[in-house]
Amino acid sequence: MKAFEYVNAQTPESAAGLIGTEGRYLAGGIDLLGEMKEYIATPARLVNVKNLPTTREISKTPEGGFRLGANVTIAELAAQADLPAGLIEAAAEVGSPQIRAVATVGGNLAQHSRCWYYRQRDLTCLKRGGSTCYARDGENKYNAIFTGNPCISPVVSNLAVALTVLSAQAVVWRKSKEVRLTMAELYADAWNNPLAQNSLQPGDLILAVEIPAPVAGVRSSYLQVSEKSDFDWALVSCAAAGSVNEGKFRGVKIALGAVAPVPFQMEEANALLEGKPCNEASANAAASLILATATPFSHNGYKVPIARALIRRTLLNLAK
Amino acid sequence: MAQELNKHNAEKIQGPDAIPVQLTINGKAQAFQLEPRVTLLDALRNHSTQTGAKEVCDRATCGACTVLLDGVPVYACMLLAIEAQGREITTVEGLAPDGKLTKVQEEFIACDGLQCGYCTPGFVLTVSALLAKNPKPSETDVRKACSGNLCRCGSYPRVVEAALKAAGVATASKCEVLTNV
Amino acid sequence: MSEWPSDPKFLGKDTRRLEGPAKVTGAAKYSSDMQPEGWLYGMIFRSKWPAALIKSINLEKARAVPGIKGAVTVRDGERPVYFYGEELAAVAGTSKQACLDALRLIEVEATPQPFVVDPVEAMKPGAPSVFTDSPNLSEAKIKEEGKVDEAFAQCAVVVDGEFSTQVQLHHSLETHGNTIHVRAEDCTAWASTQGIFSVRDGLADQLKLPQSKVRAITEYMGGGFGSKFGPGVEGSLAARLSRETGLPVKIMLTRFDESLAVGNRPSSYQKIRLGSDKEGNLLAFDLDGFGSAGFSSGGRTAGGGGGAGFPAPYIYKVPNVRTKQAGVATNAGSSRAFRAPGHPQGSFGMESIMDELAVRLGMDPVDLRIKNDPFEIRRKEYAIGREKFGWAQKYKKPGSTPGPIKTGVGVAGATWGGGGKGTKAQVTINPDGAVEVRCGTQDLGTGIRTVIAVVAAEIFGLTPDKILVRIGDTDFPPSGGSGGSTTTPSVSPAIFDACTKGLQQLQTVSGVADARGVNFLPACRKLGVEPIVMQGEWREGLSSSGAGGVQFAEVAVDTETGFVKVTKILVVQDCGLVVNKLTAESQVNGGVIIGLGYALYEQRVMDPQTGVVLNPNFETYKLPGISDIPDIEVILLDMPERGVIGIGEPVVIPTASAVANAVANAIGVRIHSLPITPDKILEALDRVPKGATAGNEELDPAFARVERADGVAGDFVDFLPA
Repeated sequence: MKAFEYVNAQTPESAAGLIGTEGRYLAGGIDLLGEMKEYIATPARLVNVKNLPTTREISKTPEGGFRLGANVTIAELAAQADLPAGLIEAAAEVGSPQIRAVATVGGNLAQHSRCWYYRQRDLTCLKRGGSTCYARDGENKYNAIFTGNPCISPVVSNLAVALTVLSAQAVVWRKSKEVRLTMAELYADAWNNPLAQNSLQPGDLILAVEIPAPVAGVRSSYLQVSEKSDFDWALVSCAAAGSVNEGKFRGVKIALGAVAPVPFQMEEANALLEGKPCNEASANAAASLILATATPFSHNGYKVPIARALIRRTLLNLAK
Repeated sequence: MAQELNKHNAEKIQGPDAIPVQLTINGKAQAFQLEPRVTLLDALRNHSTQTGAKEVCDRATCGACTVLLDGVPVYACMLLAIEAQGREITTVEGLAPDGKLTKVQEEFIACDGLQCGYCTPGFVLTVSALLAKNPKPSETDVRKACSGNLCRCGSYPRVVEAALKAAGVATASKCEVLTNV
Repeated sequence: MSEWPSDPKFLGKDTRRLEGPAKVTGAAKYSSDMQPEGWLYGMIFRSKWPAALIKSINLEKARAVPGIKGAVTVRDGERPVYFYGEELAAVAGTSKQACLDALRLIEVEATPQPFVVDPVEAMKPGAPSVFTDSPNLSEAKIKEEGKVDEAFAQCAVVVDGEFSTQVQLHHSLETHGNTIHVRAEDCTAWASTQGIFSVRDGLADQLKLPQSKVRAITEYMGGGFGSKFGPGVEGSLAARLSRETGLPVKIMLTRFDESLAVGNRPSSYQKIRLGSDKEGNLLAFDLDGFGSAGFSSGGRTAGGGGGAGFPAPYIYKVPNVRTKQAGVATNAGSSRAFRAPGHPQGSFGMESIMDELAVRLGMDPVDLRIKNDPFEIRRKEYAIGREKFGWAQKYKKPGSTPGPIKTGVGVAGATWGGGGKGTKAQVTINPDGAVEVRCGTQDLGTGIRTVIAVVAAEIFGLTPDKILVRIGDTDFPPSGGSGGSTTTPSVSPAIFDACTKGLQQLQTVSGVADARGVNFLPACRKLGVEPIVMQGEWREGLSSSGAGGVQFAEVAVDTETGFVKVTKILVVQDCGLVVNKLTAESQVNGGVIIGLGYALYEQRVMDPQTGVVLNPNFETYKLPGISDIPDIEVILLDMPERGVIGIGEPVVIPTASAVANAVANAIGVRIHSLPITPDKILEALDRVPKGATAGNEELDPAFARVERADGVAGDFVDFLPA
């Protein structure tokens, strides 16, 4: 790590003021310190944002939804039984117990690429400002099968995938006020721009995530497949939310993780499921629609059948 | 305590040169002079004599540096020492301060839940924290709790056995010796 | 019949590790924990190029960093670099932070050279040469017994297949390294090593000090698995920095370093043909194989095996055998012995093709093995194991489980030589009854300290906790390096010898006819002021070599996601006389678990475009975790008449082969390369869509920023900084 200054911010306003042009916000630090140890990030100052008011709380919104403070840890999230099941399941798969004890909601959403070319200290890949996405013609088994730009690094936040189908919004401190971004908006820039990890602009700070009030009968589910049984990144993850009424899908949303620079969702697939019987055939039809546009690379075509299986399994879980 | 410290240091820019850092390690306050970039693991191992926590991956992937922060297992390699101020830090050296081994430590020895021993401090702390929270864990609970700790010698089956035995849960031996074959 | 007691009190029983309390409390000080007065932190600067000609290395700016006390280059002047991560220089300073800052200020002038990291590419004509003076591909070693082509013509069944195994890294949790203090007249090295005398001799040679003036100490060490002998480049650099600064210097490698330059299990590529008659009697075997041990392979090492050889047709008796094996040099870190070097590779190819043959013959794979295995003990083990495992109930037609989750079983066998060799030991029997045993061996984590106590206790009729065991110091009587499953068979006889002589002497001096057990202390009290000090050494008859073992595996494979779960491993293993059952079983577990990593998770991945290692960490170099571990059941065959035999290596060998066979049995298709990851399962099951491989087309780097994956010119260009 390069030497840096450290400062405790007390308000979002002061945090944004303290960060300057070469600072970074520090929450749980798992992702940031990892980047700093590899000299991928060399901030001149770390602004600790863990003490910002109300950011460590899980509370109810006036509308009956949940507000998850950005500094709520993943462990706290996973232990909050009244949250939607899909979110708890996604939280439980984050890292290891030691990581979940310190890693935060905000940090999980804002974490950077895990592409091994991006994380390789001695390479400068496209995402790090170089001219080449090495993964395209290289070892791309963990990379994306959908992308809108030459970088094929996928989003790896479990929470982002689960929160997408829960129609959650990130509350972001931007230029002295709070703005709300859907998960799609939070990552949109990463679809187009190889240098972007997400749509956050310099100085932007996630303060909270808000989940709309749960609707009776709506369930959610999150599943992932990794190479190891525990403490491993998802090869593919999938979340679904919606209800099953009289055996038919209603208002279902589905999203995939680790396959695209954004939590990958397709409105047409959600629409296709509307009113369809909750069975394997409907689920497979949705999966086929979503995966029809996949463009796998030399070593990651296997993500397609995994995604297909997970789409079907998460959808069928909604009836359980 | 942690809150008070934060208030005290609020918005005061510290570093990048060494600054005074106070850590409470195994119940004792210790004064350090550290750059903000020094991790808790580095502080323990290289700026102090508490080498029980091991540096193995230095990237939050192996658990050999596990310490308890207010009783909760965390990776000391991914925590800045400056951020551990005001918290109760427990290292493996702090588990049996009077020399009398804990039940968990006893069972690690009895079940041979260790080989080279380099991962052992991390496992012992992780299991100790589990049993403090969940005195009667299932085998799955033990595995989940230990999923952030790696061992290369292969002591896992006996770590599970040790944890369950320490919790008073009976386990069967998985080994037999045949003579006169 | 061996001299070992026939009705032992402690031999073969469960004895707790003597160092257990030290290890569970953090009191155990490893070489990486040493903090001698004034110690400096040291770090190594490595090549960022996979191949280069280094013109010069400038350390001036690094030396000027506050806290830096010393800096050295590995070699002065021009030099080549053969792999990414090769050591170029080192610094020592008062803190890790100072070293980190200094490393970033080292300036290197270098000319990058063409490189090749993929062994298959390296063999092709026109591939970049790793060495200028020799070809990448070594001359093949050819072995032929019998008349192979004629025999194949007479076979009722012939099967063939191509198999490959990955590069596996040792990844001992304690990295390579030492804390070394070089003084004007002498040197002390706290080394993380499997061979303290190899460190002593290496440093004495380098420092031009008499061996008697160099002391290597390894009281505790965090694993080696074959990769830690001699001082290594890191030890040599620490010694030079210590000499330069006059202070103790600690250089422990980082995990990144550990992934690049301190050894690995070489890859293998095996084209195998195997034939039998219709009863399953093996008749002919043909192997065309090669492998890469990195830059230590290839033409330059022709005749030396290239470091990538493996035994074939492994444990089976085949009358007509032809093998051809070569080594290929690549720009990658060199191999080192890794727990049963060569055997897991040889086992995977051979045991895979054996199962193919069994399926073609319609024969039970266990029967096929028993029929062709010349080693009687292993044949018994198959019989014991199949019963215990419930093989007859579990083995079924490949791929026949209904539903998407398919279960299967597999089996494989292994052999290992090992054996004992020269070791000396000394026992001191004090007048107050205190017993101390000294031996210059070292404990990798296998429990040799406790083995020594058990042997001594057995002879004196005391309990093992009454024996003070001192090891890991070159001031003690010499023992060999701990490799090749030789430690217990080397050390136990020396302890037996020293203690037996010590007991005789005690009986003679004290006049107590049988000074064992309750008579021990009274006998000692008669010694007066002079303790008994007795030397002993390894001798024939107390240990032997040649261990056989078999393993059975059961797996469940999710054919929709490719996820493999190993649910059960049964080990039936011979190790002669069991000295300490508790630690012997632990070693078996350990072998199985490293084998499981080889089967399913572990692989060093290098990038062919840039020549770097892509997974120099535990995030993407995946070690088995606690949730990946199946139910492991161990059956040890106790055969005291054979004496002591090491158990470390044989138990690591057959696991991956048994798992691979179980996977093939589950899904009905064989995975021909390790590790068996979900992508390979889905590929083998033909579930991966064909044709859609967007990454294969050429993409001009200059064009990369304006080309979208779907070929449509994107509007994202606006987002890019100028």
